[in-house]
Amino acid sequence: MTGADVRPGGRLLRGAHRTLSGLHPALESVLAAVLGLLVGAVLMYIWGYEPWHAYWALLKGAFGGSYEIASSIARGVPLILTALTFSICVRAGMFNIGAEGQMYVGAAAAVTVAYFKLPAGLHLLVGIALAGIAGALWSLGPALLKLTRGVSEVISTIMFNWMSRFLVFYLVAQVLVDPRRAEKTVSVPRTARFPILVAGTDLSYSVFLAVAFALLVYFLLWHTATGYEMRAAGLNPTAARYGGISIKRTILLSFVLGGIGAGLAGAATTMGLPPTYAIISGLPELMNLGFDGMAVAMVGRNHPIGILVAALFFGGLNAGGRVMQFYGANPVPLEMIRVVMGAIVLAMAIPELIRIFPALAAAGRGLVGSFTRAKKETA
Amino acid sequence: MRKWGMWVLVAAMLLAVPAFAGPALKGKVAVVLDVGGRGDLSFNDMGFKGTDQAAQDFGLEMVEVQSATAADYLPNLRNLARTREYDLIICVGFLLGDALAQAATEFPNQKFAIIDSVVDAPNVMSIVFRENEMSALIGALAAMAAAHHGYPKAGVVLGIEIPVLYHFEAGFRFGMDWGNKQYAAVTGKPAQVEMLYTYTGSFSDIALGKAATEAMLAQGAVGVYNVAGPLGIGDLEAITEYHRNRGTRSGPPYYFGVDANQDWMGKGLHGLASGMKRVDTGCYMAVKAVVEGTFTGGIVSLGLAEGGVGISKYGDLLEFIEFGVKAGALKPEDIAETILNWQANRATLPDWIWAAIDELEAGILNGTIQVPTADTVAEMQAVRAKYTLGAP
Repeated sequence: MTGADVRPGGRLLRGAHRTLSGLHPALESVLAAVLGLLVGAVLMYIWGYEPWHAYWALLKGAFGGSYEIASSIARGVPLILTALTFSICVRAGMFNIGAEGQMYVGAAAAVTVAYFKLPAGLHLLVGIALAGIAGALWSLGPALLKLTRGVSEVISTIMFNWMSRFLVFYLVAQVLVDPRRAEKTVSVPRTARFPILVAGTDLSYSVFLAVAFALLVYFLLWHTATGYEMRAAGLNPTAARYGGISIKRTILLSFVLGGIGAGLAGAATTMGLPPTYAIISGLPELMNLGFDGMAVAMVGRNHPIGILVAALFFGGLNAGGRVMQFYGANPVPLEMIRVVMGAIVLAMAIPELIRIFPALAAAGRGLVGSFTRAKKETA
Repeated sequence: MRKWGMWVLVAAMLLAVPAFAGPALKGKVAVVLDVGGRGDLSFNDMGFKGTDQAAQDFGLEMVEVQSATAADYLPNLRNLARTREYDLIICVGFLLGDALAQAATEFPNQKFAIIDSVVDAPNVMSIVFRENEMSALIGALAAMAAAHHGYPKAGVVLGIEIPVLYHFEAGFRFGMDWGNKQYAAVTGKPAQVEMLYTYTGSFSDIALGKAATEAMLAQGAVGVYNVAGPLGIGDLEAITEYHRNRGTRSGPPYYFGVDANQDWMGKGLHGLASGMKRVDTGCYMAVKAVVEGTFTGGIVSLGLAEGGVGISKYGDLLEFIEFGVKAGALKPEDIAETILNWQANRATLPDWIWAAIDELEAGILNGTIQVPTADTVAEMQAVRAKYTLGAP
């Protein structure tokens, strides 16, 4: 067989995989969450904080009342969309790391609705459409590079993230800039904003957009022939090709669909998050939503329904984490909270990482192999 | 016996702790920071420093809330206000302005203060600084230093184009113009020191500050004024490398610090003076007003006269060396050397220049000298047109 099976690391991972995959995915997630919480508690204890006090604050801050629950959901909304971007592509056998960049261009496209007037509902819909289209167009770059030149999508999407970042920096500072306030773009007008769902919170109607997109993806992947083809291509491309499935079509479709999701995440943030409704210079409210989405996708086991639950969990961690900073006699500083969150997220993602790792390793080996081949040919 | 003595001492200390715990806590204040967060040795750390000092002096409990992303600004303010426990919530930084405008209307009984932004609400004290006044002093110093050493230019590296930074630029332009005239009047030789300025578009990308500074040094700048917070670390790095390459120890090019006294940075070798914006004083004042019951909403403008801004002096150096040691950016054993380095660097300029700076300061204080400022693009363009300094 291949070299992977002979390597001790590969065997160890496979062993861990076998042990874990015997469990039900939900039980697996709960076990991982408990492990992560315990690691976080130990870390807090070592640095002299009171873990159970802090976790109580986290729980109360995340789900302690209707205000808290609404805040948690609001933080989860963009993560649902960027997580779907990642998981659609994983289901089709692609690693799309580009949700971050696709979201930036989506957000910039959404802001352009400030330059024309439309009636209330229509204005919002046009903004959503623009953002989705922009995200999809941006994802076409890596998709076409993959299809025509065989460029690894892992690398090209990361590069496209950087391009998008600086492109949007430029747009924010020079093109979409608010002439009265140089630090931000023009604000999305009232007619194009998602109305607030729960007064006094950040939760807007954008949550319905995210849930609808998740359900659409679920329906598409599990209840249509196209979805079946995409998943088949992801499970075994060789067999799928033998079965008459066009791999090129599934790749293109997964990227475009994922790009739409990321673009919508940008729209949900600029059009649905009070109070500024604009992109602030340096993109502080957008930064990392795409990467956090990857973690949400892994915790949600790349299933749309799992992602909804995982995004609520992440939103809760974020909303509750804020409260940990000023709760009790010995509050936990933000840096420590981030360490604890990191431990929890890592533990939750391990089962999925183990599943994905062999595929990623294979992709890496393929890449190295093609380099060495090219070297030999030139020599 | 000695062992016993030690145990007795420890026991005494344990018993004594409650007695020395100070007055009982009377209230609570909160500091909310933007995504920049702590550790910049400047703006954010100053906000923390002033509030912390006030909390200690008035026996208050203080909490610090950092924001992981911009989406946290409004929730952080709401979460704090909802508890109804805080006598004052201080927002450090203009980025929090929009969130505070919203929170202030939602919680009309909660007292807020904000640094660097004006929020029009009866329960918000908006603390702004007349940065143009201290920047004028730095500009005058830069122009006279350049003319004295025969350098053609002086530079300023700025962050994002926001009204607050227009105050700095307008003051610096006026100051350089004043310095040129003063040099000509004292020495009888004409001085036409020109100005270089760059808006980097960032308050966090240190590499941008370094690149901008290198470009200015290549064009003959006598020094660079940092008006971009953490980017000053990059500015100073470029200046330090320039000196290392030429084998010089002190003298031009100089580093001009901002917000905090940053003269001690880099062991005081290249910091000539800092334009100090006492964010700590502003926060302290706000807490004091609440404790004394004099808190009112509205704009509080702090300039030279109120001690809100100033140009660094020897006493400030000592105060902020302590600040640098606490932050772990300066080793205690380097303090003496830092002071000597700084004094050597200052001595590269003649006394009459320092006297001229004092003269300008006195003129601004007694109102005989008016420093221009700008809040909008149009106002800034007018100032630029008046004081072109070879760089419109």
